Amino acid sequence: MVYECDAYTMEKHLPDAVALPRSTEEVVRVVKLCAEHRLPIIPRGTGTSLSGAVLAVDGGVIIGTTRLNRILNVDYRNRRALVEAGVPNLWITNAVKQRGLMFAPDPSSQPSSTIAGNIAFNAGGPHTLKHGATTNHVLGFDMVLPDGEVVWLGATPDGGEDVEGYDLRGAVIGSEGMFGVITRVVVRLMKTPRAFRTMLVVFNSADDASRTVSDIIAAGIIPVAMELMDQPITRAIEDAYHFGLPMDAGAVLIIELEGHEAGIDRQLERVTELCRKNNARDLKPARTPEERAALWKCRKSAFGAIGRISPNFVTQDGVVPRTKLPEIMHFIYDAAKKLGLGVANVAHAGDGNIHPIIFYDERIAGDVEKAYACSTAIVRRCIELGGTATGEHGIGVEKAELMAVQYSADDLDAMQRLRRAFDPEGRCNPHKMFPSGKRCLNFNPQRQVAV
Amino acid sequence: MSIVAYAPDDLTVTVTADTTLAALQQHLAPRNQWLPMDPPNPTRLTIGEIVDCDLSGPRRYGYGTVREHILSMRAEMADGRMIKSGADVVKNAAGYDLCRLFTGARGELATVEEICFKVQPRPEAEQFGKVTFPTVEAACEFVEKLDTTELTPTVLDLHNANGAGPWTVVVGFAGTREEVDWQCKQTGLLAAVADTKLDYDEQLWATTATGPVHKLSVLPSKLAATIAAMRGVSALVARAGNGVIYYRGEDQGTGLAPAARLMQRLKHEFDPANKLQARRA
Repeated sequence: MVYECDAYTMEKHLPDAVALPRSTEEVVRVVKLCAEHRLPIIPRGTGTSLSGAVLAVDGGVIIGTTRLNRILNVDYRNRRALVEAGVPNLWITNAVKQRGLMFAPDPSSQPSSTIAGNIAFNAGGPHTLKHGATTNHVLGFDMVLPDGEVVWLGATPDGGEDVEGYDLRGAVIGSEGMFGVITRVVVRLMKTPRAFRTMLVVFNSADDASRTVSDIIAAGIIPVAMELMDQPITRAIEDAYHFGLPMDAGAVLIIELEGHEAGIDRQLERVTELCRKNNARDLKPARTPEERAALWKCRKSAFGAIGRISPNFVTQDGVVPRTKLPEIMHFIYDAAKKLGLGVANVAHAGDGNIHPIIFYDERIAGDVEKAYACSTAIVRRCIELGGTATGEHGIGVEKAELMAVQYSADDLDAMQRLRRAFDPEGRCNPHKMFPSGKRCLNFNPQRQVAV
Repeated sequence: MSIVAYAPDDLTVTVTADTTLAALQQHLAPRNQWLPMDPPNPTRLTIGEIVDCDLSGPRRYGYGTVREHILSMRAEMADGRMIKSGADVVKNAAGYDLCRLFTGARGELATVEEICFKVQPRPEAEQFGKVTFPTVEAACEFVEKLDTTELTPTVLDLHNANGAGPWTVVVGFAGTREEVDWQCKQTGLLAAVADTKLDYDEQLWATTATGPVHKLSVLPSKLAATIAAMRGVSALVARAGNGVIYYRGEDQGTGLAPAARLMQRLKHEFDPANKLQARRA
């Protein structure tokens, strides 16, 4: 059932109803109806989120934005676009690339994940390292508050980028759909860089690869992306798609530099030196735009390839200070080994953002619990190392209990104050982000039988 | 006033709010790093003031405002409790972004005490050029022309010292020596560029004789028309690339804050007894 979960499939709940409005006015009518009947409302895009953030834990009405999918206006002079909330991320870049522009945030889900969903989780992607996440590229949006009032937050479609008063736009981005339903968004468009240097660097060990990443950052070079893939994931991708990745590599890095043609090769030389210093076995530059596209396709196919080697998997999303990358990689391998589970790693290594993929089989008794334990141990270690439980996937229901590990009761209380200003009744996407007694009682990490 | 923690290899630094911007930059300089921000009066201005009042300078066009550089903060709530928001790593999606909410809130919601920033390597080269025009329209036409090229300036300003006379467009580039040289050369093909400094911004803020500095934010495409319609302005500096105008003289009025009811509810939630008054830099 589509609406019983998102891409985090360890827990499932069905809503009482699903509404798919076609306009802001229709959203307002649904929201007001829910307000009258005190029903939970759950805004939902295409359900690509990875933390159970659109689960109807208490029932209620899912308000899907998939029919709000028009690009309303592109303002080339001011490098902005006005789009509806359900427009998939990639549609924006596709609409403007002929004019040398792009929408910078590039989550792996970008062909299907929606702009409002990107706002809910402050989505990032491989290129966040240089370009920042969603919050750096969304100027403003409207929002239907849980009582039905429509407010515009941040820059209006024809207004300046600085707005009087508190930064409500900034406060909403990353709030996991708990403040209201967004229907229209003003995004910032960036000039597409003219020059790229992308290469695949092959290492004998994940250790060498992660040290290379730390060294490049420490040398004062910020590539636009540095993506790490370890041996299990490299093999899985190669088995599935035959990109020509080395099957025996300990780990590979995809490093991309971008900017102007002038000076870029000297930067590339410095990066190459640092790779060699850390025992890089092979450096394969992408020589054509097609080869570059193939490298990125290979990275973004990672999750698709896992389905072939494990019946189920859960992905984590912790972040550590970049210098702690080698340490957390060791921890991940040890944690999985102790529990007898398989694990593969992709990581936005330049950001210190890990994505260990833990394999399990829900048909084997105890496997789900083990995967959950492994996953939780990794995230806890990230927090201990001075990092965070999630870099881009969000807390949702999955990591709600871990919020109390990362933050104090007073920190969480301050967040609740913000939530109350938007949603005094706590009806919008309830039971997410905050530790809640309810979910503890009901949580039973196994597949529920689909209706 | 202190640097609480500095991890140069992670490109992060944590400072107390009463640290001046100049002191912070000095601390980062030996590792050839900086916080790429340049609001006026860095030797006097504290990090707390920059965060509370969301202050920025000419390099805003290339590097963004202060909220783009904040990773986490400690703040004192109105009831005296200390809280932390964010995490000291470059990416964090855990919890609501109170850092952004508190930035620019003038201390009305909480008192910011400590801030963790992501810092950047200093660019290898940086260069600024100016082009002078007789009218604001001609100046803005040049800005627009520059914008349609592949050039990526980090500064794109427009200024006028006394409300009349020539209009100066300032263009700045930063990066590797090669890319800065190439971009300067390309700009030179569009107009006669002379080397310049960014001291005009300090000058606007330094003069105290003519009352406060006001601010207007418009679409960049409406910059020329907006400025042409302004009356009684004695000095003006605009972030032409951003559409933000700072000026002295008669207040031209600003837009009303949107979502007023929501903002009132927010203020009430964070400071029910109305203890926290607005700070001015």
